Amino acid sequence: MRSALGIALVTLAMAAFAVAGCGKKSGGGGEQSSTEGGKLKIGAALSLTGSLAKEGALTKQGYQLCQEKVNKAGGVKVGDKKLKLAITYSDDKSEPDTAARLIDKFNDDGVKLVLGPYGSPSTEAAAAAIERNGQVMLDSSGADDNIFSKGYKNTFAVLSPATDYVAVIVKAIMDGAEPKPKTVAVLSADDGFSQTAAKGGVAEVKKQGLRIVAQESFPEHTTDVSSALTKIRSKKPDLVLGSVHIEEGIAIVKQSKELGVKPAGGFGETVAPPTPDFQKALGDSADGVVGSTQWTPQVKGKDAVFGSAADYAKDFESRFGAKAEYHSAEAAAACLGLVLGLEKAGAADPKKVRDAVAGLDEQSFFGPIKFNERGQNVTKPMSAIQVQNGEVVTVYPKDQRQQKLQWPAK
Amino acid sequence: MRAWLPWAAAALGLVLLALGPTYVLYDAEQRTLGSVFMFVVLAQGWNLIGGFAGYPSFGNVVFFGLGGYTTAVLMVKTGASFFVTVPAAAAVGLGFAVLMGIPILRLRGHYFAIATLGVAEGMREGVINLPGLTGGNKGTTIPAVGEKATASYPGNTGFYFYFLILAVIAMLVVWGVARSRFGYALRAISQDEDAAAAAGINTTRAKIAAFALAGLLTSVAGAIYAYQQVTIYPDRLFSVDITVLMVVMAVLGGAGTVIGPMIGAVSLQYLSEWLRDNLTDYHTFVFGAIIVAAVLILPMGVVNFALDAWKRRRIALFQAVRAYRL
Amino acid sequence: MTQFLQATVYGLLEGGLLALVAIGFSLVWGVMNIVNLAHGAFVVVGAYIAWKLNETAGLDPYLGMLAAAAGLFAAGYVVQRCLINLVVNAPIWMTLLLTFGLNLLIVNGLILAFTADFRAIHTGWASDSLAFGEVRVPYGRLAGFALATAVTVGLVLFMARTRIGLAIRSTGMDRAAARLMGMNVRHVYAFTFGLAAALAGTAGAMLGTINTFSPASAAGYTLQSFVIAVLGGLGNMWGALAGGVLLGLVQSWGGQYLSGTLVNAIAFGVLVLVLIVRPSGLIGRPYYEARAEA
Repeated sequence: MRSALGIALVTLAMAAFAVAGCGKKSGGGGEQSSTEGGKLKIGAALSLTGSLAKEGALTKQGYQLCQEKVNKAGGVKVGDKKLKLAITYSDDKSEPDTAARLIDKFNDDGVKLVLGPYGSPSTEAAAAAIERNGQVMLDSSGADDNIFSKGYKNTFAVLSPATDYVAVIVKAIMDGAEPKPKTVAVLSADDGFSQTAAKGGVAEVKKQGLRIVAQESFPEHTTDVSSALTKIRSKKPDLVLGSVHIEEGIAIVKQSKELGVKPAGGFGETVAPPTPDFQKALGDSADGVVGSTQWTPQVKGKDAVFGSAADYAKDFESRFGAKAEYHSAEAAAACLGLVLGLEKAGAADPKKVRDAVAGLDEQSFFGPIKFNERGQNVTKPMSAIQVQNGEVVTVYPKDQRQQKLQWPAK
Repeated sequence: MRAWLPWAAAALGLVLLALGPTYVLYDAEQRTLGSVFMFVVLAQGWNLIGGFAGYPSFGNVVFFGLGGYTTAVLMVKTGASFFVTVPAAAAVGLGFAVLMGIPILRLRGHYFAIATLGVAEGMREGVINLPGLTGGNKGTTIPAVGEKATASYPGNTGFYFYFLILAVIAMLVVWGVARSRFGYALRAISQDEDAAAAAGINTTRAKIAAFALAGLLTSVAGAIYAYQQVTIYPDRLFSVDITVLMVVMAVLGGAGTVIGPMIGAVSLQYLSEWLRDNLTDYHTFVFGAIIVAAVLILPMGVVNFALDAWKRRRIALFQAVRAYRL
Repeated sequence: MTQFLQATVYGLLEGGLLALVAIGFSLVWGVMNIVNLAHGAFVVVGAYIAWKLNETAGLDPYLGMLAAAAGLFAAGYVVQRCLINLVVNAPIWMTLLLTFGLNLLIVNGLILAFTADFRAIHTGWASDSLAFGEVRVPYGRLAGFALATAVTVGLVLFMARTRIGLAIRSTGMDRAAARLMGMNVRHVYAFTFGLAAALAGTAGAMLGTINTFSPASAAGYTLQSFVIAVLGGLGNMWGALAGGVLLGLVQSWGGQYLSGTLVNAIAFGVLVLVLIVRPSGLIGRPYYEARAEA
């Protein structure tokens, strides 16, 4: 009986609590709630803590730079008004389900325009929520093609898809290497993005007529890839490709040195080589590694907000005191895409913005921004870089390169 | 006091909760309450094996994940409707609990806790290594949203009710267990298992039954959760954080009581959301500090503390320290 | 054949490192029946101490290791004396929750202090390796293995020959009796925990020269410590070394001959199997099984 009383009290309390806690509007008119007092409210759920905190911080910097530049010029022109951008940041703790929840929360607050989280898993989860709620999201870092194969109509990725990440490294090496490598070993982490990138890389390798001597996988986030390396060592590949993230990328180079895996040509990895962490962790061993990147300061194209890629790089460095790299650039580009869509639509209504973004065909500091019917930016090529003497140097495409590719890498 | 009064109050509370979404509650509230209800189920599930029987399982999330993946895999691969997958998930949870319980419930104390943790982590790795079935680390998406959707998506209100119904069932189950001979047997086991066995209780059967009930409730919760999330990943559905949350909720509410875990689930979930909204950068840090403080100050749980205070006029704060310090 | 030899060598060396990480954890669990869920966090703190000293003062990581050990000993002593001692007699989940909360505090404190960036400590020679034909023996890991063995031997001697070592062992066997013999059990417990923390810190500093680390690495080290402690028998120093080596070998062979992604699954499979079949550990004798609590 006592527990029945208890249950009763708590149930009543919960009901009262729930009722008393109300006061947030749900849904709400798109234009009405997201534009208040000359400000345009935009939501961004990012990994400010958790395993992707580093990349989340870089993404936030890109969004911040975009907001500052747009607002300094008076704001974004929406119809006949000029509205200042007001981006609200929430922490998704690097957890996809949290990201989806935060997107729902933005929707409750009437914020229909969203800038993407970091990483493919969180973006995928967020995209589902965006689709349900009729919001619009500009995706800055979710490259996995899986996200765009579900028939979602409201998410647009400014970055090149995952299938390009390894393929562009292969293209760069085959374009600039003398002698050209003949055999390849492909290593991949087991998450969706890395696997998709590896598949794209394998297709390109076959297209270029190279022979794949080994293909190995290992768990995501591992720092020990020794099993995979031991397996490929005896096959003596000319080129070792890694479809990985920062940790595994560092591990591959480090342990290759330990285990005596010395490809005649060199290494090519996704994500890791352009980051400062890679060079700091590896020191001299980082030299010669080829990486792919969504953006370099040599990219051709300019836009009204950031100017050219070189202008962006200068602005970023003076604002944040660090060299501009591609994670923040893709974020700034996503924000730019949203701004361009708003100007084109002339209204903040999510449907109009969505249609406007879908029809964009613009040049920018990030390269061309144009989306196919699935929401991917397939017109923008990726670039390849190489670490030379501790510096990240653009080596591909040929017309944007700063230095020639060093091959063999050492 | 009239005997029917608490029952009427409980019924009234339930009616209010049921009418809430239509008349008063906004989307955010429905979602928050939905997750509160889900944690009530998880905490009560843990309560059965950890509170009543005294076997602190640190791997209950394995049922959560299995239930979720059962639903996801069935909906993705066979296009089954969600309601068909729920009994399947329940069966998987129940079956796995029995399978797992037979060897592992022979262990005691830390060993049991670690073994359950090992099974949960191992299961996660198992799911990751079956990419053909589960999508592995790539995750898997239930086709309920977007143009290619084959299933419908119940929306905030739908999930609110699913979780509410499950929470009510969980509360009734625990309440029923607490008053039954089965509950008596469990409590005997937790106090002194050898004596209980000597008194004629079939301890193995009782423990496995408790574990199986916990598994069943937890896996259905996982099934609903997977549906709600649409895209699920092994790391999230088998996350040790979920286990810790359910243990903290049950223990701080009052393990071994009927309403303790419910109070724990409600307060900790609201606390966690409030922390995340207001102290974004520090919320996990503060949460850790709160756990440490709570274990020191109120280890027996809120409900037992309240009972102590009311019945024996004793304020037993820092009881752990007094009773258990070295 | 070379593949097998290489996998074996690497597994052995890796195992030694894992043993170094786990030995403190096993000690605490064996002597005090406390499962320290924050153990991995101590390891990472040790790595950060060595890294920071290396960064700012150019201190060689092998000296940094000593600093890490000293610092963590002090911290561990305080934590045990002032915090964990308060709930030592309590039901298991209290110490588990307490140490879990501690783990959250430490890991998030590290993120706030150092951000989630990946770090590594540079030594010129750690990545170079001895070559025996095709088989490579990396210097850094070899040093780690040597350290692990030295530490194990040192600990065994310490436990057998010094007064405090004997005090720890006897308190582990029967706390009430130890008290009756006049030992200050609070101090002994605190000392043990501090020792375990120091060992963890040393391991962390060593690992920092070999692997990259970040606050997120803590959980992995804790989980591996579980497996090794159980494998080797709680509180058993040689058992920890053997357990570590065994786990390292099994993971290395598994990674070589099965899919590389199964490495983690293997570790947990081993853990559960050992717990079901022989919870007292594969190697050691049930050291403290006849423990009397009071």
